[in-house]
Amino acid sequence: MSKARTYTYFPGCMIPYRLPHFELTMREVLKKLGVELETSPDHSCCPEPTTFTGVDFEAWVTIAARNVAVSESTGNDTVAMCSGCFHTLAVANHMVHEDQELRERINKRLKKSGLEVTGDHSVKNLLHVLHNDIGIEAIQKQVTNPLKQLKIAPHYGCHLVRPLEATNMDHAENPQWMDAIIRATGAEVAEFENKMACCGAPIMPADEQKSLTVTSKHLKHIKASGADAIVVLCPTCYTQMETQQGKVEAIAETEFNLPVLSLGELLALSMGLSEIVTENQRRYHRVKLTELLEKAGVGGA
Amino acid sequence: MVTKDTMSSLEVRNWLLDQPEGETLLRCYQCGRCTSACPVADIEPSFNPRLFLQKILLSDELIAEEQLVWNCLTCEQCEVRCPEHVKIPHILILAKVRGLMKGNVPAAALDRARNILSIGRSLEVSSPMLKTREKMGLPDLGTPPMDQIVAMLVDIGIVGKIEKAESIYGGTENE
Ligand code: SF4
Ligand code: SF4
Repeated sequence: MSKARTYTYFPGCMIPYRLPHFELTMREVLKKLGVELETSPDHSCCPEPTTFTGVDFEAWVTIAARNVAVSESTGNDTVAMCSGCFHTLAVANHMVHEDQELRERINKRLKKSGLEVTGDHSVKNLLHVLHNDIGIEAIQKQVTNPLKQLKIAPHYGCHLVRPLEATNMDHAENPQWMDAIIRATGAEVAEFENKMACCGAPIMPADEQKSLTVTSKHLKHIKASGADAIVVLCPTCYTQMETQQGKVEAIAETEFNLPVLSLGELLALSMGLSEIVTENQRRYHRVKLTELLEKAGVGGA
Repeated sequence: MVTKDTMSSLEVRNWLLDQPEGETLLRCYQCGRCTSACPVADIEPSFNPRLFLQKILLSDELIAEEQLVWNCLTCEQCEVRCPEHVKIPHILILAKVRGLMKGNVPAAALDRARNILSIGRSLEVSSPMLKTREKMGLPDLGTPPMDQIVAMLVDIGIVGKIEKAESIYGGTENE
């Protein structure tokens, strides 16, 4: 194994407290790949980019830039597992880097606590870390249980990918990095209509009916591809497409029965770490994984 | 830039155009490609990003009461398709900001904002949540330094504003 890489892990709120199995599985996978994560108690909520922005944008960008400043002070690159956190930090980072007036305004506020933000820091998501820093070959080397029977639909989600100038992702409408990671596990990548469709979650607080309608269109496209499961990085996309799948089914008047896995769970299944998936499946998955686990050759629990 | 509670629509327009993202609005030539790409416009014809931009450009008073801006997913499918790279979702976010003191903000969004400004998290961290982390062998993450964060926000006045703000919006209560 190559020497350990250390990142500052930005935890946020949803993954550590609502869906900790995302963190657990990804930590174990990263450990296998020689990655260490450090946390800082000074990090707060990112804040989330879908509603707090519209309550007070200036407060949002200030708190976000403060979190980037905390990251800068650690000296390591930052990785956020949640797409909302990643988006917030990446956008704030980009904004303070590009806009001198904004940078000065925020640094005046940060001065009181001895922090400073430059915008030169590297804010990453898990695809940057897995695909670019670790690399597909190194991932493949750890795959001991190739998931040959599975067809997996990659759901990138909006905030992980756009806007490109802040996210440093590969493509706004046809990103490829998660596809490559899925293939590395031995699974087939499902092709479906409108790959970069939104999960619908951001407008749940404003209009549940419309939100779930957006979701139902997306799930219909994925279902039609014959996928065995959807893979996500974002806990909010997960909540919308998994936890709320029953409500989506009611609106769509059809049964989807589509399991959703976090990328950490998929990788864990392929790397001989299936116990951490099966141990937590009943608590965190409403859509049963039984069939999927059988196809993955690990049996249910 | 800090917003005042009582900005006229003209002031909002100028405030918006003063920011690098807001300034991209001047490039909009109303071609409507944003609306054709928008998944919300697809299911709700009265949601029309092109028209929102036009209203902001013309300083139309109605944009302040426009609850529909909260139906924007911030998905950026419009921006990807816009030939002029107008920062449409960013501009719609700035249009939302003005509604806070008028109550034009979904109740659930207000609750989240209150959590963030009082405990530094978007949700309340309960002891079962902490126990689960412990059982999984996940590290304790500590508590964010709220005094420091609140002190930093003084000139924005958000903490006082959010105490007074009330939602007349309704929307979805549970999450
Ligand atoms: S696509 Fe761009 S230029 Fe065309 S109407 Fe929308 S914002 Fe304006
Ligand atoms: S960001 Fe908003 S306006 Fe643009 S396509 Fe998405 S929902 Fe429509």
